Amino acid sequence: MPEQWTVTLRIYRQKTNEPSRYDTFTLEVNPDEYILDAIERVWAFHDRSLCFRHACHHSTCGACGMRVNGVEKLTCITTIRSVARPNAVLTIEPLRNFPIISDLVVDMGELYRKMEAVEARAVLPITEAEIEKPPHQWKTEDSQYVRLSDCLECGLCISACPVAATSQPYLGPAPLAAAQDHRLDRRPDLLTLIDSEHGVWRCHSAFECTAVCPSFVDPGRRIMDLRKQTISAKIRHFFGK
Amino acid sequence: MNSPSSEHFNYPTGRRAGENAWLWLVKMITGPLLVLILTLHLIVNHYMGSAHSGLMTYNDIVAYFRNPLIPLIEIIFVATVVTHSLLGVRGIILDMNPSQKVLTWVNAVLLLIGCSAVGYGIWLALVIASKST
Amino acid sequence: MNNQPAPQRLLSWFNPLGRNPGSWAFILNRLTGLGLTMYLFLHLMVLGRLAQGPEAYEEFLALTKSPLIKLGELLVIGAVIYHGLNGLRVVLTSFGLGVRRQVQMFYLSVLLALVGTAIFAFRMFAG
Ligand code: SF4
Ligand code: FES
Repeated sequence: MPEQWTVTLRIYRQKTNEPSRYDTFTLEVNPDEYILDAIERVWAFHDRSLCFRHACHHSTCGACGMRVNGVEKLTCITTIRSVARPNAVLTIEPLRNFPIISDLVVDMGELYRKMEAVEARAVLPITEAEIEKPPHQWKTEDSQYVRLSDCLECGLCISACPVAATSQPYLGPAPLAAAQDHRLDRRPDLLTLIDSEHGVWRCHSAFECTAVCPSFVDPGRRIMDLRKQTISAKIRHFFGK
Repeated sequence: MNSPSSEHFNYPTGRRAGENAWLWLVKMITGPLLVLILTLHLIVNHYMGSAHSGLMTYNDIVAYFRNPLIPLIEIIFVATVVTHSLLGVRGIILDMNPSQKVLTWVNAVLLLIGCSAVGYGIWLALVIASKST
Repeated sequence: MNNQPAPQRLLSWFNPLGRNPGSWAFILNRLTGLGLTMYLFLHLMVLGRLAQGPEAYEEFLALTKSPLIKLGELLVIGAVIYHGLNGLRVVLTSFGLGVRRQVQMFYLSVLLALVGTAIFAFRMFAG
């Protein structure tokens, strides 16, 4: 007999041209279920008009990002146990800093356009991947192997970023991390964008992106590294190289 | 492995000098410099002087400014701190995504404030240095 | 439909609900920065009295003896120490140094700011 908890989901609701409200649903759950499971249950058994996004259910598609009690979570891999206690109220809200389309669904087009602007790589040669403990030395022929990029384009980092809250054109964590992944010495054409008003200098070191990123991208560290790359590229340019 | 060129999508790079490496470097250099000067400033103003409890009297300050190095340091100090603080204010305004028109005004006003503050600082340092106790 | 980035949402900069220490660092940095900018210009204006001779300046000095002004001065000292140390944290991390230690560096900045303020408070009120 699995453990049983009673939890209440307090879900943000908003349809076009209507005022927003919160609907509450109390349900019996197994605490080791994921938040997304509970939301799907609400949709299946309580309210068919609830809009939310998901596809893969295993942290790959990046569609199921929401705010749970004010913190950005990838809901398909966040267990109820990890964010709640028995009889808790869980407030579920859409990501911030994206226009709401319906209920928990936001328009992430802006993020995808920015990812495209830096030509974010979906896959990269394994020899260029910044992984925790790479083999002592890659062999040249290893570059035939590719690796999926860590970033799911889930938008959690954008939602958590204080600068992204007020400045729409600011590239933000995931696109800057994608630029860092390119390395400016391999892609000098990205320098103009990265060194621009909407680029790497606008980060104010809150490191919220790194705190919420569900996929080890560590955008905060990558932004800092991108600064180093930018400065050295600028200095190289300055000396005409 | 490189993706095709993104000619089809042009992100507004903001060619105006909203923020860039050099502006940012100025902030990064003036910052630590200020930590240094301010430490001295705090020590001098609170631990030196006739009673060793700080430069607390008019005479103390005028005497302190006798050394020609002091007005120079104070002038550098004013210029650095004004630059750093106004660049900081500008950074906050940039976070509010100003239009080109607003930013032009912001630049002009900050420049005016900055130049007058530094000018005033120089004048003040020289006036104090020329006083006698 | 009020969820897109907008300048009017600037108060959200200062909302630490659900956020991490790094946000506190950012919030404090911004608030102390704004406060110190205001103090700087006030300070410069007040020092103008030095140009008017000893009487004008001593008259102003008498004012600063009030406990309220002293409290304000302590705030300024705390803000200066915090802003300076956190600024060093920003510089270091921006050059890739100690990025994984940024939270500890933030705590250290707060701690040293508190200690520094306490020392000055002691000198001011008891010393
Ligand atoms: S960097 Fe992390 S949080 Fe941001 S979009 Fe990519 S996976 Fe999501
Ligand atoms: S459903 Fe695909 S990442 Fe959560």
